[in-house]
Amino acid sequence: MAHSIKISYSACRGCVNCIKSCPTEAIRVINGSITIIKDLCVDCGECLRACARKALGLDEDDWELIHAHGLVEAVPDPVFFAQFGSFWYPDAARGALMERGIDLLTDEAEDAFDLSAYASARVIENRSSDQLPLISTYCPSVIRLIQLQFPELLSRLIPVENPLEIAAELWRARTKSYAPLTLFAPCPAKITLIRDPIGGEPSPIQHIVAIRKVVHTLMASGVKVEKFDKSVPSNWRSATWAIRGGETKHISRFASRELTVLAVSGLRNTMDLLQQIELGRFRGVDFVECRTCDLGCFGGVAAPESRFLAYLRNRHIETEWNLTPERAAELAVMYENTKLWKVRNSIQSKQRLPLSSDLLEAMSRMKQMKAIFAELPHIDCGACGRPSCKAMAEDIVREQGEITDCVFKLREGISSLANQILSLADVQPQTLRKPR
Amino acid sequence: MSEPIHIEHDVAADDYQLAGAASNNVKETLKMLGLSSSICRRAAIITYEAEMNLVIHGGGGRIAANIDQESVEIMAVDRGPGIPNVELAIQEGFTTAGDRAREMGFGAGMGLPNIKRNADIFEIDTEVGAGTTVRTVIYFQHGQ
Repeated sequence: MAHSIKISYSACRGCVNCIKSCPTEAIRVINGSITIIKDLCVDCGECLRACARKALGLDEDDWELIHAHGLVEAVPDPVFFAQFGSFWYPDAARGALMERGIDLLTDEAEDAFDLSAYASARVIENRSSDQLPLISTYCPSVIRLIQLQFPELLSRLIPVENPLEIAAELWRARTKSYAPLTLFAPCPAKITLIRDPIGGEPSPIQHIVAIRKVVHTLMASGVKVEKFDKSVPSNWRSATWAIRGGETKHISRFASRELTVLAVSGLRNTMDLLQQIELGRFRGVDFVECRTCDLGCFGGVAAPESRFLAYLRNRHIETEWNLTPERAAELAVMYENTKLWKVRNSIQSKQRLPLSSDLLEAMSRMKQMKAIFAELPHIDCGACGRPSCKAMAEDIVREQGEITDCVFKLREGISSLANQILSLADVQPQTLRKPR
Repeated sequence: MSEPIHIEHDVAADDYQLAGAASNNVKETLKMLGLSSSICRRAAIITYEAEMNLVIHGGGGRIAANIDQESVEIMAVDRGPGIPNVELAIQEGFTTAGDRAREMGFGAGMGLPNIKRNADIFEIDTEVGAGTTVRTVIYFQHGQ
């Protein structure tokens, strides 16, 4: 698995703040600077938040370079429109940005989010109750977390493509253009979504830039955002997906029966919920939306605006949820073309390798691990470069560390050596001993 | 055959917050040993339901798991009130859980039936006034 976190080795001091923040224990300090175990990283961005020295950054494409090459065809994440001090109606934003060499695919995005919600509602309705709840595939971090830690829930991931990618496919089909597409992403997870697509097929999007980079450049160039009239209902249902609960609301409104849905945000909530679903505790629930960032995608590390302000702005928009008969017919036609929205390849488990492929050997290593762990101080100080004493014991049996990496064990070793030296100092060779 | 791997957890009565720790530990251990995710899930469910039984009914107790090459054995032992009618207790939906447990979303009468469904061997030994021991075994060969 790839990830989209970039390390600046000159800025990294080798402290342990990022290590401690990582929910999947994917970070180690090796030889004085951090290393990300890429198979364990889910791109949640917690380590970027934890690093005060800005040693961790986003592995994005070069916006200046992309923008210098003429008109940029861009797929904007719904988060984009609330980043400018006010909610910017997507059609207004599109008009204003066209003058600055950016063509926002707002119409295709709206179609894609509607189609995704419509298709999700149909998939949920057609599932038998013992195969529910289904889990949203919108947040790529959640998919990775399930691949890594909850493989039993893979069959619960709703097989509907990410609407950002559907938008790109729709645009290609309509324009027949080969021009590269750029995604404005709110988080590292959506960068990886494009670079290392989960199903394995190449993404219809070519470049990815962090929203904060685009917003900063636009703000610096003095872009003017019109105030919006919040009493006028908006047809931009996609905008609600930026907040926790937006997707479930959209799907519920498109369903033909009343759905029982749940939406949670934040890493801890997501992990707790997945664990409880795995224990079979959510019978009777139809659909679950998880976002690893606080408040939903507004909490993404690559979104510059305060997530609280952005949240309030979006909450104030009146959204039109009732479909006109024409719109319903359009969606039904798009839905028939399953190639547009259905996840083609099954999503595979990416669990960490066991201690050994042989059960007996693995058991013997497990016992060693327990014995090593028992000797460690259990204060999880992180000074060994690992998130916990438990992780340290595991690394040692996986032959990725030494017991002397632990400062306490090293000190014990020195102290016992010093005692040995002291007692040796008292011993005299027999030739020097004088008879009494 | 080598010594089994032993895991043990004390579970306190009415401790709804910490319940789940034993289940997590059993699941993580089986995962690290390379056992299939279906085995891991079944063991996690059994342990979790057993923990909840200790929390709600048993007045606390002990969960123990033994893992050898062929199977995982999970036991829950308490010195609680015992079960007067086992036949009834293993029926889905039957519950004697108090209001507090039900307010927390537990006590739906699915605990023992869930344990039974996920185990290859399910044994229950109970005496009113003396306590209950539930013993389950999952074989690695079956259901993989």
